[in-house]
Parts: sequence; C-alpha cells; structure tokens
Amino acid sequence: MKELTQKQVFDYLFNNGIENFVGVPDSTMKYFIDQGIKRNKVLIATREEEAIGIATGFALSNSPSLVFMQNAGFVNSLSTITSLVQLYKIPLIFLIGWRGYKKSDAPEHLKIGKIQPKIIKSLGLKSKIIDDHNWKKVCEWALQQHKKSTLCALIIKRE
Amino acid sequence: MDRKKAITLAVKMIKKNPIVSANGYISRDLFTVGDKTTNFYMIGSMGLASSIGLGLAIKNPKKRIFVFDGDGNILMNLGSLATIGSIKPRNLIHLVFDNNSHESTGGQPTSTKSINIAKIAKSTNFKVFLTKNESGLEKVLDKIKKMHGPIMIVIKIKNSDNVSERVPIEPLKIKRRFSRYLN
Repeated sequence: MKELTQKQVFDYLFNNGIENFVGVPDSTMKYFIDQGIKRNKVLIATREEEAIGIATGFALSNSPSLVFMQNAGFVNSLSTITSLVQLYKIPLIFLIGWRGYKKSDAPEHLKIGKIQPKIIKSLGLKSKIIDDHNWKKVCEWALQQHKKSTLCALIIKRE
Repeated sequence: MDRKKAITLAVKMIKKNPIVSANGYISRDLFTVGDKTTNFYMIGSMGLASSIGLGLAIKNPKKRIFVFDGDGNILMNLGSLATIGSIKPRNLIHLVFDNNSHESTGGQPTSTKSINIAKIAKSTNFKVFLTKNESGLEKVLDKIKKMHGPIMIVIKIKNSDNVSERVPIEPLKIKRRFSRYLN
C-alpha cells in the first residue's frame, strides 16, 4: 500500500474514534505506524500477544483500540485470540501484514502466507483486504464492526 | 504460607481496588476467597495478566490496578516487564505468587529457583519487595499504600493440596461486570 494511503488510513481511523494503536512493527505498514508515532498514539510491545493483552486492558476501559502486527505475529497469537479476545468478546480491530502473499517474498514467510486465509476462516475472524482503492470503505466497515463489539481484521498485502 | 493464605491476606488489604488474576490456581483461589465484580479472572491466555493490567493502569490513572501473577505466568511474558518499565505507570502493582513451579499442571519446576525475578523487575524500573510470610506481606502491602508504581511484590509461597474450584462465572459475565465497574 502507498505511503499516502497508509497515512490516510491511520488518520481516518484515529479521527473516527480509535484511540490506541498497539502492536509490533511490520514493514508492510511502516507509514501507517510512522503516522501514529508522529501523533503520539502508538505503543510498541515486545510481542503481538503482549500487544493484544494491553489492548484488552484499554478495551475493558471503553477505549477503542487497534492491534497491528505481521502475519507471523498473528499466528503466534492464536491461543490469545481464542482464549482471551474471542472468549470474552473483546472488541478490537486487527491490522495484519500479509507477508508471503507473493511467491517472490522471503522464504520464511511463504508457508504462513499461503495458509493465512484458511487460518482466518477457521478462527471465524471477520476480515477484509484493505488497499489503495477501497481503504475508506473498508475502514468504515471495521468501525461498524467495532461499534457492534465484533472483532475484525484488516489485511494489508505485501505486494 | 500457601497461596490461598497469601491471596486471602492480599485481598483483605487491597479491598475494592481492581485485580487482574492469572489463569490456573491463582484465579481459582481469588474467586474462592473473595469474588468481587472488581476481579478480572483471566482464565486463558497464559502470561498476559501483567499486560492487561498495564492497559488498565494507563486508562484508569485514578485507580490502583493490582495484578495477581504466578512465576510460570510472568516467565512467559518477561517482555511485559520491559514495556511496563518504559511506561512506568504509577498505579500498577504486580504481585507474583512464586512457588518455583507450575503447580496447576502437576508441580513441574520453573526457573525461579535459579534466577531472580526481583532483580529482573528492579532493572526494568519496578520498586521491588520480597516477602516470605504473612506478617511480611501485610507490612509490604501497608507500606506501598501511598507509594508510586510500578511496584512488584514477590511472595514466596509453598505448594499445598488445598485446591480451589474452577471459576464458575461465564467469561462474558466476568468482562461485563468488570467493565461496568470501571466505566
């Protein structure tokens, strides 16, 4: 996703009520994170599960939160997603970088990249791919899910 | 002192302040000795009680947030000490009930016999206290009443056969009543 779009996505979510952006950096969304750091709204955790835990504390305090991560961190967090976020119905928005979407990506990303759609489906996690063209509509969808207290994920492809 | 005794004493001193309790016997004991709407029983997601506590502490600066953790739990998420130590929430108090073992899975050893959790916490900007008995714990809990966090209290406990029942409340209800109290 283009630099400008990533910044617009951050500003759109922030201006529409998402107060906290917690996660572990991924180069796929570096401009999104940079924009958040500039606005002093980003908290970087040591692991994605930790980020989800912190965001849960925010959500329990009625403060809307997004957790950003690479898909490697997303799959590391499966137990936390099922036994905390889904079990207690914690309303969060995930932003997940889809490494291994292209076969030309680095080898360590290929297997996860390939099985990622199946994992998301197995979890019953509502998700949409966000890109330079649909970003506003997809952000709007995520905000609607959040208002209904439904967990959802936005996926950014690594082109 | 076994865990139930330590938790009973801590609950008495902490009163109505919110508590996030780690999965396993810690949440079970907390429920048994003093169920309150201000308790958040984390029944899964091992290791994350300190992180949930950090999120709560940041958003509720006027409340003192207590985390009831175990040695096995905190060893799974030592990174959280680095994050907490860099943010330095003044209202976060982290109690680690340390029996050097994963008691609820059969008593397998953890590394807290050989390494020093208190020293790790100290190097990540916590004020750290170590206690081994009831009078010590009572003194520390009294001493920290007006102290700024982050604070860690490592409480050395013994294993016991006295096992509490599972938390019988639905997770959704645990969340709703806790969130209602906070907001």
